[in-house]
Amino acid sequence: MTALFFKSTREDHRIAWLAALAITLHIVESALPSPIPGVKPGLATIITIIALIQFGWSTAAWVNLLRVLVGSVLVGSFLSPTFILSLVGALSSILVLRLASWLPGRGFGPIGYSVLAALAHMAGQFYTAYLLFIPHAALFHLLPVLMTAAVVFGIISGFLAHLILDRLSVR
Amino acid sequence: MTRADMIVVILAVALLPFLYITYWGPSQQGDALHVMVDGKETMAVSLHEDKHITVQGSLGNSVIDVHEGKARFVSSPCRGKQCVHTGWLGQGGEFAACLPNRVSIAVIAEEQRYDSIVF
Repeated sequence: MTALFFKSTREDHRIAWLAALAITLHIVESALPSPIPGVKPGLATIITIIALIQFGWSTAAWVNLLRVLVGSVLVGSFLSPTFILSLVGALSSILVLRLASWLPGRGFGPIGYSVLAALAHMAGQFYTAYLLFIPHAALFHLLPVLMTAAVVFGIISGFLAHLILDRLSVR
Repeated sequence: MTRADMIVVILAVALLPFLYITYWGPSQQGDALHVMVDGKETMAVSLHEDKHITVQGSLGNSVIDVHEGKARFVSSPCRGKQCVHTGWLGQGGEFAACLPNRVSIAVIAEEQRYDSIVF
């Protein structure tokens, strides 16, 4: 028997730690009851935003995608419609964060990133749900409520990320 | 917060009322068109049959076009052509008026888009 060794870099470890944090938030949140289906605080965004600001976009992308993958396996929704929506949401928000991080000058802070990510996440999920699962015009009646939730939770997550980043920089 | 953050938050919050109005505002495809001259209803036609209507107003003839459930002013003897620029009307409660010629048209549906309009 030969042992298999993977060479892992500091970056890999960092991604693993951050992903573990994000997965924890993801699972804690999935245990919370939700008043409206599809409306969740999305607290794992906090980790994505911190990863983006502290370590750059590719770390944030890895953390977010690992969170969706591992989170869904642990919650038991892997490859279910919930998982597909979750994945599309993560991909949309990561894509928008990539574009947003190219903004020159002082650019975005945690709150701007978080709101953009939340809106992209919700919009991506919504249109996927509409195209794949519920192709009915009545679904659009939900859009205002869902987007309101996205904006509110985007601001809250961004603010929390801002507080955490402040503490991190004091160290 | 950076300036970019402020702009994103403001735009995101401003988007919400727009979404509520678009998706929650009452609106219904109109069924009939009421034509009024000098404040009195002179004609009511179905929106489901395409036709041209010529109405004699106080300045001259206003031409109204009905096509595929929508209606509009095609021409009018007035100067401003406000009525023509209003464009197609199709939803219940939508309204266009040529005040100089004293001709107005209103789309009627079971549920009206607006309760009343004040100019």
